[in-house]
Amino acid sequence: MTPVALARAGAPNPPLLAVRDLNLEFRTRDGSVRALEGVNLQIGKGEIVGLVGESGSGKSVLSYALLGISDRAARITGGAASFGGIDLLRADARALAELRGREISMVFQSPRTALNPIRRVGRQIEDVLRRHALARGSDLSRGLREGAVQALREVAIPDPERRLNAYPFELSGGMCQRVMIALALACRPSLLIADEPTTGLDVTTQAAVMDLITGLARERQMATLFITHDLALAADYCDRIVVMHAGQAVEDAVTESLFAAPRHPYTRRLISSTPGPAGSIAALAPVPGNLPDLRRSDLPACRFAERCERSDERCRRIRPLLGEAQPRGASHRVACWFPDEVRAADTDVASPGEMPA
Amino acid sequence: MTDGLGPLLSVERLKKYFPVTGSRGSMLHAVDDVSLVIGRGESVGLVGESGCGKSTLARLLARLHDPTEGRIVFDGEDIGALAAARFARSPERARIQMVFQDPTDSLNPRFTAEEAIGEPLRLLTPLRAAALRERVAELAAQVGLPAELLPRFPHQLSGGQKARVGIARALAVRPDLLILDEPTAALDVSVQAVVLQLLERLRRELGLSMIFVSHDLNVVRLLTERVAVMYLGEIVEVGPSEQVFNSPLHPYTRALISSIPGQGPRIRLQGEARSPVDPPPSACRFHGRCPDGQDRCGREKPRLTETGERAVACLFAANRVCSGQ
Amino acid sequence: MSAPRSWAAHARHVFTENPVTLFAALLFALLVVLAIAGPAIAPYDPLASNAAAALQPPSAQHWFGTDSLGRDMLSRVMVATRLDLGIALAAVTVSFAIGLPLGLAAGYFGGWWDRLVTRLSDTIMAFPLFVLAMGIVAALGNTVGNIVLATAVINLPFYIRVARAEANIRRGAGWIEAARLSGNRDLRILLVHLLPNALPAAAVQVSLNMGWAILNAAGLSFIGLGVRPPQAEWGILVAEGAQYIVSGEWWVSFFPGAALMLAVFTFNLLGDALRDLLDPRRRT
Repeated sequence: MTPVALARAGAPNPPLLAVRDLNLEFRTRDGSVRALEGVNLQIGKGEIVGLVGESGSGKSVLSYALLGISDRAARITGGAASFGGIDLLRADARALAELRGREISMVFQSPRTALNPIRRVGRQIEDVLRRHALARGSDLSRGLREGAVQALREVAIPDPERRLNAYPFELSGGMCQRVMIALALACRPSLLIADEPTTGLDVTTQAAVMDLITGLARERQMATLFITHDLALAADYCDRIVVMHAGQAVEDAVTESLFAAPRHPYTRRLISSTPGPAGSIAALAPVPGNLPDLRRSDLPACRFAERCERSDERCRRIRPLLGEAQPRGASHRVACWFPDEVRAADTDVASPGEMPA
Repeated sequence: MTDGLGPLLSVERLKKYFPVTGSRGSMLHAVDDVSLVIGRGESVGLVGESGCGKSTLARLLARLHDPTEGRIVFDGEDIGALAAARFARSPERARIQMVFQDPTDSLNPRFTAEEAIGEPLRLLTPLRAAALRERVAELAAQVGLPAELLPRFPHQLSGGQKARVGIARALAVRPDLLILDEPTAALDVSVQAVVLQLLERLRRELGLSMIFVSHDLNVVRLLTERVAVMYLGEIVEVGPSEQVFNSPLHPYTRALISSIPGQGPRIRLQGEARSPVDPPPSACRFHGRCPDGQDRCGREKPRLTETGERAVACLFAANRVCSGQ
Repeated sequence: MSAPRSWAAHARHVFTENPVTLFAALLFALLVVLAIAGPAIAPYDPLASNAAAALQPPSAQHWFGTDSLGRDMLSRVMVATRLDLGIALAAVTVSFAIGLPLGLAAGYFGGWWDRLVTRLSDTIMAFPLFVLAMGIVAALGNTVGNIVLATAVINLPFYIRVARAEANIRRGAGWIEAARLSGNRDLRILLVHLLPNALPAAAVQVSLNMGWAILNAAGLSFIGLGVRPPQAEWGILVAEGAQYIVSGEWWVSFFPGAALMLAVFTFNLLGDALRDLLDPRRRT
């Protein structure tokens, strides 16, 4: 069965990556910024999970923490993140360096700034291969070169032998992103983290890049964590979606289920504020209020409480956990004391912007 | 929506070419032979991907750049004739204003919000002192910017707040035409929704004409009555927004719409857009990537031909229109 | 985020936040006091010679000792502050007033204007700057005014470069286009929009330049150009004392040299403080 089918059936799919109760804060001059609180996340083998949230939701912070490349001011104050038996948060630098690029890879947001501007792209790919000693054949340099050509070919870059010698500034945005994907996938990792890989790209290029990533992911049974602020994009490509708000994971469901019946008030508002193929401007219902200041020491337990019309005293004092107040083993989990009830009639797939009133 | 006095803005065969450094005589055709009409109170969208020339066109119409050829006629006056550098002090300056894409980049970091909004008033109207402050307060209220934020610097404001300052500044001198260059692209989705609703409300209340430049077709469809699709410096399709969105005629428009997430089967475009430097004068610029292309497309350049409310520049579009697609 | 602080509160914050800045500010205050009131508060008349008390080492009556003509070194060093600071200030002001607008225009307009200004700047920098200063003073005449001119000329390229870079970075910015839409002509954009944004970087340059200009003036005087005896100026004082070092009367050169060092040090430290004072981003 595919991971999606397994998830829908509710069968346990031993997670490749399991994040439990992760707390992270940044020490700054003005106080501690509690960037992540109690985040729970699982990704199974071959599963494509979308991590959706606005800026300040903590989604990028989470991915950097998993790879051990957080800002120096970051402190993990609780929780665990296990990957294939290793606790990513407590592993030593050496173990992490072995994992990065080989088992877990990352594709970053703006490809031009993520690639070394003064090094030819072929060399950059060879660097990764050399680091993880994965060249083919006895002649190391030729093996590396062939490996790089192969990597470029796999991301559908035409004329790879010639492109090997190009510098990043000679390539278009879409091409650079493909090169970065080639870099990330050169060593066949089992988990790919893609942090807003298509922001800034044209919509046609975006479609092509997303097709490429998900195509390769399916082909190689590679788990993918796809981080984005674009809900519609996540809906199109992800098996499962986790919604984040102000450092907390608030909803976790299979894609169809999330859009058919979003249960967290924030998710509902997010969907209804996204312009879609149908609907009018008047129907756009933006999320009220602003993101709470994460430096406050008096943050409500559920960080959406101050923006939510349903919140009460319990929401401010006790944090609802994902899946709390729901039957055990439910696949559509929400972190809310007043989640929307699942409506029996809503079995059709709704797309963003088309939410029933 | 013209009221008989003629269109507000009439663009006639506008061209903007940039010389290419290093190659003598080579020209980059950023905007090539574009003609467009904007009526009074009409909202027109300008869509296309990066490199299509929509931002250059927007800046030409805002008179920040000088055209290489062609006319820009605003309310009967040929404003293209005056150099951009001198346009700043002409009476037409206050009638065409612009809202920029990146709210952070569009505000002087050393000006407070109040100073930013007040500057066009100071330079283009006789308002001073108390009257000026009043007008600034009125504008802030109109765009939903709390008055206590007026003494703040840009780095002390959120993205949505900065966007509002930019809009207030553009509206300060009561322009007839507002050009918006991707005003919500840099904003979060929920802030975007708020700003879009604000723009719609202002358009209705103030009767503005708007040119809305964007790559986000969903947003354009919501805010505009007509839309023009650009590719490599040329307009390839124009028509009422709903119609273009639901039944696009030009193959590029169809590919563009199919690429929007959630829009069903994707039309894949091969390769990349060709270079805008010295494009061949007698071939369709989409030839080579066009899924429907034929040999004739490489030898004959399609012209924008009108049928009713719609116009399309494709040698084979006529077939599609006639067959009622 | 809260409203910006007032200027006074901001200044107080800048100077108390960092102990180094406070230290520099105090030293600067000392220098200014000496420059203004030096002759009034000096214990002895700096020009009064007393052959009997020549070359006395530092003591209770003469804290810095006396020189070969029996003049009190402390008084001479204190009074020299005015001349040194004055020359440096005048030179830096002239350099700033000419270099900054030239650089801003070059960076903003580009084209032939940029080429012209850059050539000028390159030409000046092609010379070893001190030699160029020497040449200018030698050619135009041995006066204090010409020291100021020479120092101003050799410092021009620094201001041109800083201003040009600041203008160049910003010339395509959205807020410059918005300024044009608001009715600004190019000149007003340069003065009202670009200039304030270039000031923080220019301020650091001013501060570093002050130290450099003092050293320059002292250097020229040391080799006999510009300031003439019996005027008190640190460079001359060092020159006068140089011949006595070998014979063990170290204090004649030492104290003026130390004063020079302290002055340059102060201005270098002040550079960062000045930038913080002027940058609105730090006002929160």
